[in-house]
Amino acid sequence: MKKTFHLSPGHDGPSEDVRREIELHLEMRAREFESQGMTRDAARKAALEAFGDRAAIEAEVRALRGTTVRVRGRREWVQELLYDFRIALRGLRRTPGFTVVAVLTLALGIGANSSLFSVLRSVLLRPLPYPNADELVQVWSDHRALGRAQPEWLPPPDFVDWRDGNRTFAGMAAYQGWGPDFTGSGEPEALGGVSVSGNYFSVLGTRPALGRLLTMADDDAGAEPVVVLSDAVWRRRFGADPGILGKQLQLNGEPWTVVGVLPPEFHPPLGVSPELFRALRRPATSGCGRGCYVWRVIGRMKPGVTIEQASADLGSIAARLAREFPGTNEKVGVWLIPLHAQITGPARDPLLALGAAVGFVLLIACVNLANLLLVRGAGRARELGVRAALGAGRGRLIRQLLTESTVLALIGGGLGFLLGAAGSRVLSTLVPDNVRHIQGIQLDGAVILFTAVLTLLSGALFGLLPALQAARPGLMGALKSGGREIGGAADRLRSGLVVAELAFAVVLLVGAGLLVRSFLLMQRVDLGYRTSGITFVGIGLPRARYPDGARALLTVDDVLSRLRGNPAMRTVEVTDLPPLSAGDQDVTAIPVGEPRRKDQPEAIWYRSVTPGYIPQMGMRLVAGRNFTPDDRRGSVEVGIINEAAAGRFWPGKNPLGRVLAQGEDSTAPRVTIVGVVASARHDGPNQPYKVELFVPFAQAPSRGPTFVLEPARDLESAMAVFRQALHEVDPLVPVAGVDRMEELVGTALSLPRLYALLIGIFAAAALLLAVLGVYGVMAYTVAQRQREIGVRLALGAAPSRIRRLVLGQGGKLALVGTGFGLLAALAVGKLIGSLLFGVSALDAPTFIAVPLILGGMTVLASWLPARRAMRVDPLVAMRDE
Amino acid sequence: MAGSDLYTGSLDLLILKATSWGPLHGYAIGRWIRQSTDEALAVQEGALYPALHRLERQGYLDEEWGLTDTNREAKFYKLTRTGRRQLQTELVRWRRYARLMTAALTAARP
Repeated sequence: MKKTFHLSPGHDGPSEDVRREIELHLEMRAREFESQGMTRDAARKAALEAFGDRAAIEAEVRALRGTTVRVRGRREWVQELLYDFRIALRGLRRTPGFTVVAVLTLALGIGANSSLFSVLRSVLLRPLPYPNADELVQVWSDHRALGRAQPEWLPPPDFVDWRDGNRTFAGMAAYQGWGPDFTGSGEPEALGGVSVSGNYFSVLGTRPALGRLLTMADDDAGAEPVVVLSDAVWRRRFGADPGILGKQLQLNGEPWTVVGVLPPEFHPPLGVSPELFRALRRPATSGCGRGCYVWRVIGRMKPGVTIEQASADLGSIAARLAREFPGTNEKVGVWLIPLHAQITGPARDPLLALGAAVGFVLLIACVNLANLLLVRGAGRARELGVRAALGAGRGRLIRQLLTESTVLALIGGGLGFLLGAAGSRVLSTLVPDNVRHIQGIQLDGAVILFTAVLTLLSGALFGLLPALQAARPGLMGALKSGGREIGGAADRLRSGLVVAELAFAVVLLVGAGLLVRSFLLMQRVDLGYRTSGITFVGIGLPRARYPDGARALLTVDDVLSRLRGNPAMRTVEVTDLPPLSAGDQDVTAIPVGEPRRKDQPEAIWYRSVTPGYIPQMGMRLVAGRNFTPDDRRGSVEVGIINEAAAGRFWPGKNPLGRVLAQGEDSTAPRVTIVGVVASARHDGPNQPYKVELFVPFAQAPSRGPTFVLEPARDLESAMAVFRQALHEVDPLVPVAGVDRMEELVGTALSLPRLYALLIGIFAAAALLLAVLGVYGVMAYTVAQRQREIGVRLALGAAPSRIRRLVLGQGGKLALVGTGFGLLAALAVGKLIGSLLFGVSALDAPTFIAVPLILGGMTVLASWLPARRAMRVDPLVAMRDE
Repeated sequence: MAGSDLYTGSLDLLILKATSWGPLHGYAIGRWIRQSTDEALAVQEGALYPALHRLERQGYLDEEWGLTDTNREAKFYKLTRTGRRQLQTELVRWRRYARLMTAALTAARP
């Protein structure tokens, strides 16, 4: 045997190999017979005979050969891959600085994306936890034709007409809040409850964990009072007692029988998790009629029905009601919102904006790594040239380089996944509580898959260009010149990557600038009332013992009189609705004797307050008088409006002494305006002014009053005094909630603060990466052009001129990158428009500051290489060759 | 084994033995088996090839293409490392088998 090849030289395919092998055997065997004295023909015949059934054997061998070739190919492929992995790991170990930077960059980039995706997937991409959840819709009244942007609840009679008249819904259920006080065993406690129509649970498709849920029979006005417990309250208050069924609870002083317990995974849509469910138990026609918007409604569309069909169906009913009851139903339409969008809507914009931000960060990281690899590839041109000379094909070299980038990506991605798992816990605070309860944030297979795909994509993204570039034809040239000379194409590629990087960074910086400025503005917003030093303490007076407001007023006055003289209190006042509490209430308001105007509000938001409340809250009275103790039950009903209401109801006129009526007919209650206060933002710093009315608590007492305490010394002693006083007046009434003003303000600002912080961090990372990219390219360019610079200096060029040359190149990159980035940023403003407050999407300060910052940093990044260029010693530079 | 009247596994063992001194092409392997067994274990010569290919697929043999003494291009079979291990185990097994068979067949009447 003189020479060997690994595989068959002709590569004619397996069957040709086999034919040749057997033919060779037959020829050699025939020659053996011939040498024993046979004739040529006889020898051939004897050889064939000795061989056996040639066709059958050849067929059998061919089949075996086919699988062998396939297995061998796979084995060789794996072997080459392992070889490449070893080479890659060895190469990465040789350059620990590069490896650490690359892995950390990737881990942060991929980790941020992975954690954001885990939140995004849980909240936005997963269906709600109800059977066939895509059939569920929230049903609202549409008052947009009346000038109200928000969807409205449903009046009970409208609900009945919509429920019974439609052809597109399998079921429609109503619900409203219920706040029972639980007394009997231990401390009295205010529980959160919901009153629901009997079909509520069957519409949602919920099954009980214990006992039964509510049915239509429970909904009759005369039905036995029964409740269903949430899993949480069953465990917390009743020790998960399996014998709870049939027991009676004292709720608001009345006995209610427990008939069932909900499963732990059940969370009702909308509202924080309630603890008790009871049936509405009232005919829809009693009490609150048309025009009285009290019920929330959820509907399950029949299978296959689209939301447009359902809207059209209910819309025709609403149109008929508008004709029949023009007084209340004119211009009232139907507004259906898919339950998924209804629940996850608030989390959508911030998550998408942050998703875009982390995507940009990863993109910049990849571009940066591509650049690092390009430089590294240039340094390895010699090594690759040697491999090419030894017979490695271009594809083989590219594969090897891609393996290296993939190894980097895999290490970074693995680390990133761990980081992401930790980060998703932080990010989940971005999601409103009720959404988080319903959807749950968890890492699942989809997140792992996403991270894996992202990792491989990143590896390909930053590895492909450098690999193509490094393995390009003409490596032999690199071999000759010692790997120093690099074509202009590579330079252009590097510059292009830096430009892209800078542009991405500009987009992120603009986004961050807008959000940070929004937050700062929001923080500086004057809410219109004091933001510290007071605490809101809510109580709930049960309906059973407090059938009317007069009874509630007596108790409130009694508690107030006990607190007012106490040295622990500086001031104590009462309101029925504290600010920043996510609650509001409105009432129809018609200015008496005014011609009806188009832009005139239909209703006014109101609060009842004790006389000292407005001064205690630091609200500014701009006209008229404050309430006094003489504004009591029986005296003229008075009100104080805010400036927004004065301008909308009586534009250009003095509102003092004028009257607002709560309805068209002459019997409707009326209030006389005695004062005007400066408008305040009761719903939060990023909410607009609303038209508001204050009325004396004595004239509109509430069963759910909130005491506003201003402690003289500390909150603890003030609360102790308060509890004592309340206990003396009514020992069965629990404290429902204690909220410090500072906490309420903090909560109102916490989400905007978190957006600004997160996007600020991402933008800072992007800026750092982009500037590093500029530095890398400039430093490399200077090193590469050392000889040229040396020649120039030798020929008498001033060092400052060389510096200008280098700085100029850096400046050019910055200019082009920033230009593209600003163009793209114009679109970004629109994307995050709903998150902005007080700044336009084209905010001039942001659009001026970002290029300045980036330009400054770019010049700085070019400065160091430029200084090095100035100090090039011409002799050394040229001797180096 | 098609067309083989050899005891089960003995052709495989002979092939492994034949290649243990160095790479051989199919014809040379067949010739060695014929000569070293005094042509007594006469088999259909073609049966050698499925056996060779099966051993290759099992990873006991590797292939190399080279030139014969007469400058013909031919496929050479080379014993792999696992093939050599397999040869050792099979040899031990075979000796034990032969000893037991011999002992049994030469035993006295019970």
